[in-house]
Amino acid sequence: MNARRLPAATCVIVAALVGLVLGLLGPVEAAPLVSSTRPPGAAPGDGGPSPVIFPPQSIGIRFDHARHMALGATCTTCHDKAKTSRASADLLLPAGTRCDACHGTNHRENEVRAGADALGACAVCHVGYRAEDGQRVLRTVLPPPHLKFNHAVHAARDIECSACHGDVGSLAQATFDQLPRMRGCFTCHTRDVPRQGEASRACATCHLTRGAELVTSFPEGRLEPPAWLHDAEHGPDWLERHKRVAGDDSRFCASCHAERFCTGCHDGRVRPRQVHPNDFLSMHSVAARQGSPTCTSCHQQQSFCLGCHQRAGVTLSGPVGNVAQRGRFHPPPSIWTDAPRGAGHHAWEAQRNLNACVSCHMERDCVACHATAAMGGIGSGLPSGDPGAFRRGVDPHPPGFISRCGRALRQNPRPCLTCHDPGDRAFEACR
Amino acid sequence: MLAPARMPRPPRATSNGAAAASRARRVAGAVLATVAAAVPARTARAYHTEIDASAAAQYYTLSSPYGEPELRSRRYTSTLGMSLYDLTGDSSPSHPSLSFRSRLRLDADLGQDPTERDPNSTRYVPGLQQAPLDLMYAYLEGDRYLDGALGFRLGRQYVADVLGWWSFDGALLTLAAPAYVKLEAYAGFEQRSGLPLLATPRYRADGLASGSRDDLRSNQWTGYLEESKLAPALGVALETADLGWLHARVTYRRVVNRDNVVVSPFLDPSGKLGTYSADRVSTEKVGGTLRLSPLGLGSLSGSVVYDLYAGIVSHQALALDVFPTARLALGADYERLVPTFDGDSVFNWFAHSAITTLKGRADWAVTRRFDAALAFGSRLYETLGDPATYASSPDQELVTREVDPFATLGGRYRYNAGSVSLRGQAEGGERGHRVGADLTSKQLWKSGYYDSLVILSLYDFADELRPDRYATSFSYVVGLGLRPNALGTTTRLGVEWEQSMNRLVGQRYRVLATLDLSVFR
Repeated sequence: MNARRLPAATCVIVAALVGLVLGLLGPVEAAPLVSSTRPPGAAPGDGGPSPVIFPPQSIGIRFDHARHMALGATCTTCHDKAKTSRASADLLLPAGTRCDACHGTNHRENEVRAGADALGACAVCHVGYRAEDGQRVLRTVLPPPHLKFNHAVHAARDIECSACHGDVGSLAQATFDQLPRMRGCFTCHTRDVPRQGEASRACATCHLTRGAELVTSFPEGRLEPPAWLHDAEHGPDWLERHKRVAGDDSRFCASCHAERFCTGCHDGRVRPRQVHPNDFLSMHSVAARQGSPTCTSCHQQQSFCLGCHQRAGVTLSGPVGNVAQRGRFHPPPSIWTDAPRGAGHHAWEAQRNLNACVSCHMERDCVACHATAAMGGIGSGLPSGDPGAFRRGVDPHPPGFISRCGRALRQNPRPCLTCHDPGDRAFEACR
Repeated sequence: MLAPARMPRPPRATSNGAAAASRARRVAGAVLATVAAAVPARTARAYHTEIDASAAAQYYTLSSPYGEPELRSRRYTSTLGMSLYDLTGDSSPSHPSLSFRSRLRLDADLGQDPTERDPNSTRYVPGLQQAPLDLMYAYLEGDRYLDGALGFRLGRQYVADVLGWWSFDGALLTLAAPAYVKLEAYAGFEQRSGLPLLATPRYRADGLASGSRDDLRSNQWTGYLEESKLAPALGVALETADLGWLHARVTYRRVVNRDNVVVSPFLDPSGKLGTYSADRVSTEKVGGTLRLSPLGLGSLSGSVVYDLYAGIVSHQALALDVFPTARLALGADYERLVPTFDGDSVFNWFAHSAITTLKGRADWAVTRRFDAALAFGSRLYETLGDPATYASSPDQELVTREVDPFATLGGRYRYNAGSVSLRGQAEGGERGHRVGADLTSKQLWKSGYYDSLVILSLYDFADELRPDRYATSFSYVVGLGLRPNALGTTTRLGVEWEQSMNRLVGQRYRVLATLDLSVFR
């Protein structure tokens, strides 16, 4: 056993502040860079937008945006419905007929024909096309995004295409990477910036909903928040971290999770495997001795723990029929009470982890020794000539108790009266 | 159990699978017909209805460390939820909304020995119920009224904040000011068992073994207290709103005990139990949280709870996270907790010392599909006095800190049709150790029509306070699920088999069967 005095709290606070300063000043990545071509919010190496929002696409067309823009085309020259579209499922790619005027091709007939010159060859635009393929070309598949989006509303506010898609006009080939990032959406869809206008911050503005919650489960995966959004990245350690975010802003959690999700663990009746591993029943006593603060976030010690311990016969004050089976629960005397320790050693253990005691003991077990004789305790105090100090129980009160007992006595005298007779002179100091 | 998920319509089963799928659909159809019929047909109306139900049957046996008694659990838990959304006919996020949600729960254990519920039996366990029914929540919720300024909830509802996960029956009002501030106020009665509205004792502050004493004689189980039935509660909170980089909430809650409570567990000289019946504090706490996330570079958050009754800071925490890259998060946590209890409990005055947890964390999303997390730290148990000599010479000036180190390691690979994950943990210290890992595989088959679950676990543990309690445990779980999704429902039927083996219990088995279904129209 050690008796080191570790300035733990001080160290952590100083470390946290230093870390924050370093985090702010150090060479960490600033808000995602907006390169000349990528959409706002795109971070280096982010691999494109989330495939859960934008399911994987297959683009069978080779199209040099930069070259066409240099020739005078604009976005709407080809994407003519982009500024009037009201649903994200709208297909905004141009039909092949849009190419015919310049390329000399004919996409109108059932029998599509190539143009007369090199620019009209099928392979110019159709990726992987070979002459022997005839009329067969690689299909372009753009699954509808799992998102609500109204292009017309944004266009009506003079929001340029590049505000969401980046500078597509300078690219030889636009890809999946040009689709918007949520972080870019937040450029406007936050209320703490003056340029917000009417852009709503509500999640349901863009995300699909079912009832009052967002739809989070898709064939492509599960929709989860990124780290920069409320520090709520649902990584492998989220189970341990979530209480901090939920305790601060549970309404944020409720955007996606209904009550039944939370009650599954916090008021659960079926052991959640993600919390308690297999055979946890065998190990739970060790876990409780080490991590009881975690246990109490879901379990009531005086009902959940005590009830089962009474049934299993491991408690002192359990049913007589069960107690009869009971051996010694606490450690052998060599660990628990042999010299230099004594019968009072349990008090130190109670200080160390009171929750462990409360999961087995009813207050009667404690009061039997700690109450004054007047209230049924054994009254181990020695006569001192002072009637008020006569036959007291063993004092369990923590240091400094006297400075806060007055308010407690006024607010709820019941626990005081459990051990002290109403006429006990010990009350005088508190009153 | 896999969480129910919206899955694409499965392909038609063929060959051998056709008959099985057809039978499953017929069985599921019969079960679901009643529920489906209860939901109004899709008509020209704006509101949406959701009815969902879950049922879980568990069968397992556990033995006392002394061999007897042996508890045979034959548990059946079922919930039934009903929700109505968009009752105002408009689901726009910028317009007022009105919804209703409710859930009822039955939690039965058919394996209980009847003598355990007989007050005259030597095996009587106070408070044990065979099939309690409780209304988990039922409330009407309005939002964004008065140009988005007013929200309300009426009924049995949860409040989750720094003061804990809590439930009450009553009204909650939310008033949003124009300047990024929101006020919340609520009043009602804390959810406690014994209420006429089918309640659970889960949400009362801990520290009291209490419940109905209707079947007990006055001198029986005197340490088992009468449950306070109506406990008035009120709370208020002030929090920031609509600021992405900052969130702060300050909250206060007070709950009052009103009923008669036994004062001493011992009979007085006249053979009676003394009682106390005046209004008194059950819990009274004030707490605050703060999160700062400047520029998305990281996050600094903290929380503190002051227990006004016990007169102590019962909880404080501080956490720092930095995001050096888009895929890496590094963090450090500090948390200090002193246990507190219901105002009626004597345990408040046994609570001396804090448990402090220090932790360092790293979370690395290596790719979109593979991520890993590592955490390590220690718990410090602060006590007064040297444990070796405490009983003989209690030196209350000496602060002793015992350090329990711990570490966790998690990794998971997720793909469209499933996932493989590993979770390892190691805890050590003065009170024993627990080291081991779970390897979990979840897989969808036939576009999600079937699913499977396999978990392998290996743990080694030892309880240093009870030298005979050590073992190496191997366990496995095999689970299968089926999603017939008949009659427009989202349905999953599942069954799991679990076997654990270690030197203390030999072999332990558990069977779990589940049915989850949901209709949303």
